[in-house]
Amino acid sequence: MGKSMYSCEQAAKLSSQAMEQPPGPWERMLLHAHLMMCKRCANFTHQIAFLRRAAHKVPEAFEKDGD
Amino acid sequence: MQDDKDWAKSLEAHRKYLQRYALFHLHDAALAEDAVQDTLIAALAQSHRFEGRSQLRTWLTAILKHKIVDLVRKRGRGLPANTLSLDENDSSDASFTSKGAWIDPPAEWGLPDAALESQQFWRVYQECCRLMPQRYGLVYSMREVMDLSSEEICKKLNISTSNLHVILFRARLRLRACMTRNWFGTEHG
Repeated sequence: MGKSMYSCEQAAKLSSQAMEQPPGPWERMLLHAHLMMCKRCANFTHQIAFLRRAAHKVPEAFEKDGD
Repeated sequence: MQDDKDWAKSLEAHRKYLQRYALFHLHDAALAEDAVQDTLIAALAQSHRFEGRSQLRTWLTAILKHKIVDLVRKRGRGLPANTLSLDENDSSDASFTSKGAWIDPPAEWGLPDAALESQQFWRVYQECCRLMPQRYGLVYSMREVMDLSSEEICKKLNISTSNLHVILFRARLRLRACMTRNWFGTEHG
């Protein structure tokens, strides 16, 4: 694995980690470079962000079905 | 000021909500019942602490979160021991080849936010959360549903930040794959 380019696994892992703490400038640049070229990882990044939005709404579902 | 009986009654009105909340995180009806019972008892004793600045349900949920985390810690529930022994190179749920390429590359989900309005979507979502291995599912739901901070979770479960990141990454991979198989990759999505 080259040091200057991320594999999909590295990019996906960093996308997930970036939701917890902001990556350093170098990592962020490599990640962006990867996401610009790789639709698969871009999809993954959008989808895990969506899953977080959904998770925040989960408690609303507990209010439904009779209460 | 409400008297004790009214207070107990207004707490009772939230029991079902609290039970669903606890069950979602604990996956165990008896444990969930314990957490809710502890919460309502604590709330009964602490009526003077509720200042009416927040909604009663919000206040009760905050107590419940603590009770859930306490129960998890006390009973182990596979944490933190199993989490600590988590093998960083565990390939049992591999999403990538040995060279780091996607085995099953993520396709587009279209405009997923429309699904948030569908009751059926929520059933699938909850089922996918339930199907996650406990050690991933609980950390994921503490982070994303309880909305506890990373620092708080690491401290409470006594795990390292990098461990937390690995667990959350694996949980997200699984949940994403499950939602693709059962929702977005089907006629719903």
